[in-house]
Amino acid sequence: MKCSQVQKRLSAFQDGELNRQERAEVSDHLGRCSACRRQYAEMEKVWQALGDLKEIAPNPGFYGQLVKKINESNKISFPTGFGWLFQGFSSPWAASALLIAGILIGAFLGSFLGTSDLFSFQASRVSRSQAAVEVFSLQTFNPIPPGSLGDKYIRMATYAEEERR
Amino acid sequence: MTKQFDSLPSEDLMVETAKGDEFAFEVLVRRHQASVLNLVYRYVGNKTKAQDLAQEVFIRVWRAADRYEPKAKFATWIYSITVNLCLNEMKFGKKRKMIPWEVGKEEPSSVYETDSEVPHSPEDLLLAKERSRRISESLQSLPENQRMALILKRYDGLSYEEIAKVMGCSVPAVESLLVRAKRGLQEKLIFSEK
Repeated sequence: MKCSQVQKRLSAFQDGELNRQERAEVSDHLGRCSACRRQYAEMEKVWQALGDLKEIAPNPGFYGQLVKKINESNKISFPTGFGWLFQGFSSPWAASALLIAGILIGAFLGSFLGTSDLFSFQASRVSRSQAAVEVFSLQTFNPIPPGSLGDKYIRMATYAEEERR
Repeated sequence: MTKQFDSLPSEDLMVETAKGDEFAFEVLVRRHQASVLNLVYRYVGNKTKAQDLAQEVFIRVWRAADRYEPKAKFATWIYSITVNLCLNEMKFGKKRKMIPWEVGKEEPSSVYETDSEVPHSPEDLLLAKERSRRISESLQSLPENQRMALILKRYDGLSYEEIAKVMGCSVPAVESLLVRAKRGLQEKLIFSEK
């Protein structure tokens, strides 16, 4: 094995990830080559130094705090009793299918109810509202609409004239 | 009540958790909290943030319990959740507001370093802290994937195959990440010594 080949495999050699033959070849090369041996020694030194990073222990209240967070997150989940309805719709595909089904059902119901005679009172309601629109539209063009200042003046003038008579 | 679960393997505890058994979940959390917490801590380099993220890992475990397949090794599964959370935290963490550790009851100072191997004299303690800080800073300076691969290998003793599974990449990719991580770390530590 050449130095360049050995240097590429030094990391895997250190991690014990080489097969038996490769391991023997690298080991043999390290026994003969001082440059590669030095490089491996530096690698080992750094590996050992990583052990200086201290471990930390979980806070004594770790589990209690965790349970509290889980309970808090449960409060904003689906309301109890309807959860079963949403359980199967956690994936985006299922949610999209639900949305499309909703649109189709809405479109169907809209067209069905629009053409059916289920709400017979609608006809009279439309005609009444149409009549109201007509009356108010005509009053828009009335030069002296009822209740206006002009209307009151004319009434007063007519009343005074009738009194004189 | 939790004693009956103590002898059960984590995979079985997870099955019980999926049925809604809180005692099984508690045993599971107490069994894995230290390894999850330290993996996160070595990755993010901040004790308070590590506590929050470690709790987030277990919240995800609780929520995903019914999707867990007992065929999968629990340790690999929880490592995958932790790694994904850590890598996403680096991408989106700046935007996401962290839930702070409950102020007043559990101050960040109560996040203890384990007292095994803690030196007794104040000088030794200072030196050990300084060495730990230097290693942590060097780790933080590595690119995210290299750092994660290195932590999983050095501190958790995972094989290349396990790291590949947890990180969702190939074995040669893991080897390449580790070669570059070690080289980068070597340069940084040697530079900081000078």
